[in-house]
Amino acid sequence: MTILYLLLPLSLLFVLAIALALGWAVFSGQFDDTEEAGSSILRDSDT
Amino acid sequence: MPIIRRMPVPSIFSVPPGLPHAARQARRHALLRLGWAWLAMMQVMMFAWPGYVRHDGIPPDALATLDWAIVLMNWASLALTVPVVLYSAWPIWRGAADSLRRRQAGMDVPVALGIVAAFVPSVYATWIQRGEVYFDSVTMFVAFLLTARYLALCARQSVAVRDGAPARRHARLEIRRRALGAMADRVAGRFVAAQVALALAAGAAWAWFEPAHAVSVMVALLVISCPCAMAMAVPTALAAAHAAAARSGLDAPAFRQLLAAARRTARQSLYGSLAWHLLMTPLALAGWVAPWLAAVTMLLSSLAVGAHAWRLYRRYRAPLPALAAARQATAAP
Repeated sequence: MTILYLLLPLSLLFVLAIALALGWAVFSGQFDDTEEAGSSILRDSDT
Repeated sequence: MPIIRRMPVPSIFSVPPGLPHAARQARRHALLRLGWAWLAMMQVMMFAWPGYVRHDGIPPDALATLDWAIVLMNWASLALTVPVVLYSAWPIWRGAADSLRRRQAGMDVPVALGIVAAFVPSVYATWIQRGEVYFDSVTMFVAFLLTARYLALCARQSVAVRDGAPARRHARLEIRRRALGAMADRVAGRFVAAQVALALAAGAAWAWFEPAHAVSVMVALLVISCPCAMAMAVPTALAAAHAAAARSGLDAPAFRQLLAAARRTARQSLYGSLAWHLLMTPLALAGWVAPWLAAVTMLLSSLAVGAHAWRLYRRYRAPLPALAAARQATAAP
């Protein structure tokens, strides 16, 4: 069971990475407009 | 080829366009606080699992290994709960400090007490490596509470950016909101004061008769005493009324109906959630409601209040002819 000494810090590191990624996404405006990216392909006039 | 445009339904996680910068930042912080609390909650529940399955019937050598694993998991839970208590729960600390300064029993006071009462003994139990920890209840409580508040914030901000409806009606709704809000604050204030006194008394009584359960019962009572559902009752009902008034071109009688319906919805939500909390209190006093279960019942009542306001909005958002037809049908002899 000494593997827990490796696995527990590893899981905490994963959580930290997810938390930082979420913080970056929220404050860089990724959530500001959820429609824009999806509808941009329909408004594309380049042919 | 023509593109059929449906009415876009904005995600509640997206920030409405047209918000001023300060409100936008507040919304982003609220979203991140909510996200961190839910993330930590799920991880802490996973780490709490060995504690749930532990019982004395396990063979001694396996029990020794399990207890060693539980100690490690408790430290990991502590590491995850600290950011939740410090960052996610920050609005709660600020609100509690504010209402203590004004010497009022605001709803943040029992919440802050509940977090402290569950968190401090858990840290102590982790340090001496013996006893129960409640990190799962702390993170769950904060996550559910922030969910309810995030919904209320969304409702308020979506009203703030809406335009194009007669300002006079929104002013009348606003007057109604203040009157109902004052009434709800009085009810919730009395409830909170009584409930906190009861929680402390019950904690003392259980500490006298059966100390092992004292912290658990006191935390459950403090969690139940959080009137988040009551605090949501008036803002959500009136936000639904604002939204309905802005969308459909209501005529004067329909608007009066809407006002009456908003008042009815707010009162039903307020007294319904009060009855729900009072129903849970004896069960918690008897020690049948674990702190995490108390947090779940609290979330359920908040969600029920939100759904009740949503029903009001759905009923009055109908286009004008349908409403007029419905009124003629009821007015006909």
